[in-house]
Amino acid sequence: MEIIMTGLASILFGAGIYNLLQKQLLRIVVGTVLISHGAHLYFLTMAQLKRGAPPLVVDGVTEYADPLPQALVLTAIVIAFGVTSFLLVLAYRTYTLNKTDNMEELRGSDHE
Amino acid sequence: MIYAVFAPLLFAVLIPFLSRWKEKVHTGWLILPVPFLIFLYFLQFVGPNFEPQVQSVQWIPSLDISLSFHLDGLSLLFALLISGIGTLVVLYSIYYLNHKEQLGHFYTYLYIFMTAMLGVVLSDNVFALYAFWEFTSISSFLLIGYWHYRERSRYGALKSMLITVLGGFSLLAGIILLTIVTGTTSIREMVAQADVIVDSHYFPFILAFLLLGAFTKSAQFPFHIWLPDAMEAPTPVSAYLHSATMVKAGIYLMARFSPILGGEPNFFFLLSLFGIVTLVWGSFMAVRQTDLKGILAYSTISQLGMIMAMLGFGTDVALFAAVFHILNHATFKGSLFMVAGIVDHETGTRDIRKLGGLMTFMPISFTLAIFGTFSMAGVPLPFLNGFYSKEMFFDATLVNSATGPFMEALVAALPVLAVVGSIFTFVYSMYLFFGTFTGKYKEEELPQTPHEAPKMMLLPPFILVLGVITIGLFPEMFNQGLITHAADAVFGAENNKDIYFWHGLVPAFYMSVAVVVLGIVLYLTKSKWEGIYSVLPGRLSFNRVYDWLIENIEKGSNKITTSYMTGSLRFYMVLVITAIFAITLGVLIQTNGVNFEVTDVAPITVKELIVAAIMAIAAIATIFVHNRIAIILIVGVIGYGLAILFVFYRAPDLALTQLIVETVTVVLFMLCFYHLPNLQKSTTPLLTKGVNVAISVGFGLLLMVIGVSAYNSRAFDSIADYYIENADPLGGGYNMVNVILVDFRGIDTLFEVAVLFGAALAIIAMIKLRRDKGAK
Amino acid sequence: MNNLIFLPIVLPLIASVIAAFFPKKLNFSRKFSQITSVILTIMTAALTWHVLTNGTIVVQSGGWDAPFGISIVGDGLSMILVMTTYIIGTAAVFYAPSVLDKQQESFYFYAFYFLLISGVAGAFMTGDLFNLFVFFEVLLIASYGLIVLGNGKVQLRESMKYVMFNVFSSMLFVTAIAFIYAITGTVNFAQLAERVEYVGQEGILTTVAIILFFVFAVKAAVFPLYYWLPNSYVVPNAVVSALFGALLTKVGIYSILRVFTLIFVHDTGVTHQIFIWLAMFTMIFGVIGALSTNNVKLIITYNIIPAVGFMLMGIGLYTEDAIAGSVYYLMHDMVIKGALFFLIGALIVAAGTKDLRQMSGVIQKFPLLGWIFFVASLILAGVPPFSGFIGKILLLRGGLEQEEFLLVIVALISSLLILFSMMRIFIRGFWGDLMENISDDRKRVRNLTIPGVVLVSISIFLGVGAEAVYPHVESIANMLMDRTEYISSVLKE
Repeated sequence: MEIIMTGLASILFGAGIYNLLQKQLLRIVVGTVLISHGAHLYFLTMAQLKRGAPPLVVDGVTEYADPLPQALVLTAIVIAFGVTSFLLVLAYRTYTLNKTDNMEELRGSDHE
Repeated sequence: MIYAVFAPLLFAVLIPFLSRWKEKVHTGWLILPVPFLIFLYFLQFVGPNFEPQVQSVQWIPSLDISLSFHLDGLSLLFALLISGIGTLVVLYSIYYLNHKEQLGHFYTYLYIFMTAMLGVVLSDNVFALYAFWEFTSISSFLLIGYWHYRERSRYGALKSMLITVLGGFSLLAGIILLTIVTGTTSIREMVAQADVIVDSHYFPFILAFLLLGAFTKSAQFPFHIWLPDAMEAPTPVSAYLHSATMVKAGIYLMARFSPILGGEPNFFFLLSLFGIVTLVWGSFMAVRQTDLKGILAYSTISQLGMIMAMLGFGTDVALFAAVFHILNHATFKGSLFMVAGIVDHETGTRDIRKLGGLMTFMPISFTLAIFGTFSMAGVPLPFLNGFYSKEMFFDATLVNSATGPFMEALVAALPVLAVVGSIFTFVYSMYLFFGTFTGKYKEEELPQTPHEAPKMMLLPPFILVLGVITIGLFPEMFNQGLITHAADAVFGAENNKDIYFWHGLVPAFYMSVAVVVLGIVLYLTKSKWEGIYSVLPGRLSFNRVYDWLIENIEKGSNKITTSYMTGSLRFYMVLVITAIFAITLGVLIQTNGVNFEVTDVAPITVKELIVAAIMAIAAIATIFVHNRIAIILIVGVIGYGLAILFVFYRAPDLALTQLIVETVTVVLFMLCFYHLPNLQKSTTPLLTKGVNVAISVGFGLLLMVIGVSAYNSRAFDSIADYYIENADPLGGGYNMVNVILVDFRGIDTLFEVAVLFGAALAIIAMIKLRRDKGAK
Repeated sequence: MNNLIFLPIVLPLIASVIAAFFPKKLNFSRKFSQITSVILTIMTAALTWHVLTNGTIVVQSGGWDAPFGISIVGDGLSMILVMTTYIIGTAAVFYAPSVLDKQQESFYFYAFYFLLISGVAGAFMTGDLFNLFVFFEVLLIASYGLIVLGNGKVQLRESMKYVMFNVFSSMLFVTAIAFIYAITGTVNFAQLAERVEYVGQEGILTTVAIILFFVFAVKAAVFPLYYWLPNSYVVPNAVVSALFGALLTKVGIYSILRVFTLIFVHDTGVTHQIFIWLAMFTMIFGVIGALSTNNVKLIITYNIIPAVGFMLMGIGLYTEDAIAGSVYYLMHDMVIKGALFFLIGALIVAAGTKDLRQMSGVIQKFPLLGWIFFVASLILAGVPPFSGFIGKILLLRGGLEQEEFLLVIVALISSLLILFSMMRIFIRGFWGDLMENISDDRKRVRNLTIPGVVLVSISIFLGVGAEAVYPHVESIANMLMDRTEYISSVLKE
């Protein structure tokens, strides 16, 4: 199963990169979201899947899933959320100020 | 000694504070005593019983860098020249530079230079030497650019800095190699290990680096081009830097290192070759100049070539002559620069075509110039020091000291080249002298009516001419006390020469005669053969190479940079991802890191497969969907799919977080992009699409391979057991993930909150701060 | 005493929150930030001194032993970099009021500033790979806040690119950590070092290490990953550019230095050789960029890149001399880049333009600015006896010892061209006839020059007074090469 999940994460990553290489702001932002999903899935997969019970202490259970990656991924998800929200607003403001959502039209060589 | 070296620097710092009196007194007077006292200080060492002096002050002992000064004969000669001519130049400048100019700056630069130059010739520590060396370049940059509102001054300043600093960096590489080979930073200790250095396999590099350093500084062909342009400096500066001091630093360096490098025949060969070529080319080009200082500049180049060549011959007589000529050249060239400055100052032009017949207007300058030019030409008269060293030079070309095949070939040509160079030297000396002071007086061409300069302005060149005559008449006076010690220091051998005017009817004498005769002939027929300059150098010139380089460095770098800095995010991303992909793949292959031996995986279940398949399809679908609402919803599907996977994979906290985050993100997406235009069908060319596909598929595959290999290469158990065991007893919580988050790895969480805090502030700032009145 | 080592990370976070609460009270914000910065700098200096004289301080956060908690490691390297960060930061807060407009200041400049410092200090001091990621994100989000400050049209356009690159590299960072975790089962630096050594860095580990390198290299602006840098550093305000130029790329370089001297050092024939080649190209393309433009700020910005090449060169050479050179250069470059951005900001205010072709003779009206800029240029080019020189000798010595002649020659020629690019500004902008529409606001220009003067003085001290600093750098390099002290002081074995 880990192999398949690695494959899925790679597909997410690849699709994310493809979107990242597009012109329109929305697609680009979508690309980053996909990539971050991919990265999080990698992390969880790399720590082996479905070993033991959920990491909630229950009497009598000795096998638990590795809690550390879960904690780290949780941190990463929250951070990604913060950054994505910022990115969304930035994209919106860039659009309203520059009157275009096409990054190719936002090349620019003037530095104010 | 250390005070002597740093005194000028100290005063350089103080000069800005002296400026409050400068309304009344010319700044030059205030600081004139400094170089003079230094001169007196060094003068006390002169004498037959001179013993080298050492003084050392620690600076950065842990890097073996110290300010250790070692005064031997060679250093003494240079120190006297620097301080002595320095005194005269300051005196001269008092009359040359107007009260209203920024004298503070001028003297600050000049005194920084003086310290740097004294430091170069006295330092025993190579790094200290290098530091002073660079400072000579920098202060000379400032001095050349002193009249910075002139375009030519800026051009000359930059040129001299680029070329000499290039040499400086090369020198740095050379001395670092020397320290690596010998393990010491002291020149004297290096000399003791000369054989180790010559035998080291670094030696060719050491030689090349040091030669480049010396040749650029001493304006050897083809690096001589900066010197003529450096003539934009005020004349006192030219008289000081470009005749007596800075340009001699390269000579000094070669003389200083000759005991080390001398074990290698090619060292002598290269010095001789570059020296003699510079001599001939410099004197040849000098005849062509029309600017007085231009003639003197090329003359200096040629004389430097001569000294370099003599160092290169490596024989006793040649080395002695080299040292002797350093002194002689400083005296007559210094005086000539000053006279040229006087002519410029009093007539308003330095263009020799406009000058002429000044003899009657400026009799004293005229007299001074006689001695200077005739000494430079090497006219055989007993009161001209130039003749003595030139005669020795001829003598030296005839001594066959050939070692190595190249040198043998060169030796045969040397006497001829030496004579040719000297003939042209004779010609330009005459041209300079007669062109300025005799002939027709062209009143209408001169901006000012000429008259003799003030007496005090004539004093410095007068003293130098006095030196020319004294050395000529009483060479032995300088020989025992100074020259011999200096020559000893060059090669370390006993080097006791007598200096005679009359050598007898030896070959060198015939050569001198030939020079005078042919020189007179060529001078008188100058207008007939001048056409040759349109053939050689014609349009060929290293100046053009330099200008071409400078222009094209700017243009070319602009072209290169704008070619890839396009501002296109996609283009950058393509470059970056391709680079990461290529290098990572290369490493993967080279280290043989692929590992497909699947071990220890969880069983595959259908429900997971279904979720995974949906997510994969959705991910690919994002590429093809063109409706903005649809794409946002699809992203939501992927996010929720991930949450479901988290549930399958025993990560309830993750699943919850993911659900919440995904929901909020989708809402935010909707809010922000509701106003944006709909997605368009992509109209990108097929090639671009192909590249995009190749990159995304390639990178995805690469990560897949690495991921699988990494998974299969599990080498250790995770540190998880500790958390599993201790979450409850030590952490006091049943949810291990939570315990890790808030306790074991609390810092992560604290700063994760900080990220959210920052993001929130940034969003508020972006939304509330609106200055877009048509945007800035 | 030991727990005080947290303060350089946590106190600015608290200061940031406080500053965020009083955005409109500008006078208070300014005074508060300036005073806090000075106090924190003094405190950090004391801590640094303590570490340099008494040895590494390791604190296990929450009292959980490494590798289970997060170790905060104050070793010599971390502490001198944190101290340098504070010095630059303090100079920046004194510079800010004269160069920012009131709106920019009141929209959380000071909050972002403290957040940035906190993130940078944390990144320098953490001993945990994942925690490093978190601190990266902290400093990045602060930098996002700073780069959009003012909301200019062009600014947002370039911010977008800057943010995209960083988001991409952050996600790659998470992925790389995931791979490393799969193989080694840990994220603690010291334990990673032990475990990697145990398996001999075989097979896939080197590849993963290279991915990690690229993550840092994007932030450090190594060739060919620096495209995002020039424009995004030019568009924000001068004080923001100074903070970025002095701190952000250096965090990337520091991370490379730490990870590739502590953990992945068992296959240097592959990894470090790649660094050498990339360092060479970084220098070349960096100076080419610096010579390509007439925008004075862009010239300075491009000059960040060759400096990164120099530091990477030392890491690639991986000898004690070269590493010491990189560390020295790192400190030097932080100070001098800060100074140059401050000075160029002052120049732009003085001349009223960024275009070199429209400037001339500025030195006639602003001599102090001109001369300090001149000295700073020399420092940048590595002219003795200033700070750049010490680093350069060490790096060159390292290169020559390894017989990397091509590298050394490229480094020397780059130095020359760096000098050329700076002299273009000096000769064309400062020299020449006094331009017409030069600023009359002498007081403002002076206020903008003084922070530069302070940093340049520090830089001169780092060169002339190298004896006071170099022995520490030498022992830092020694520790980086030896590794055992770091590992044992963290893992307490």
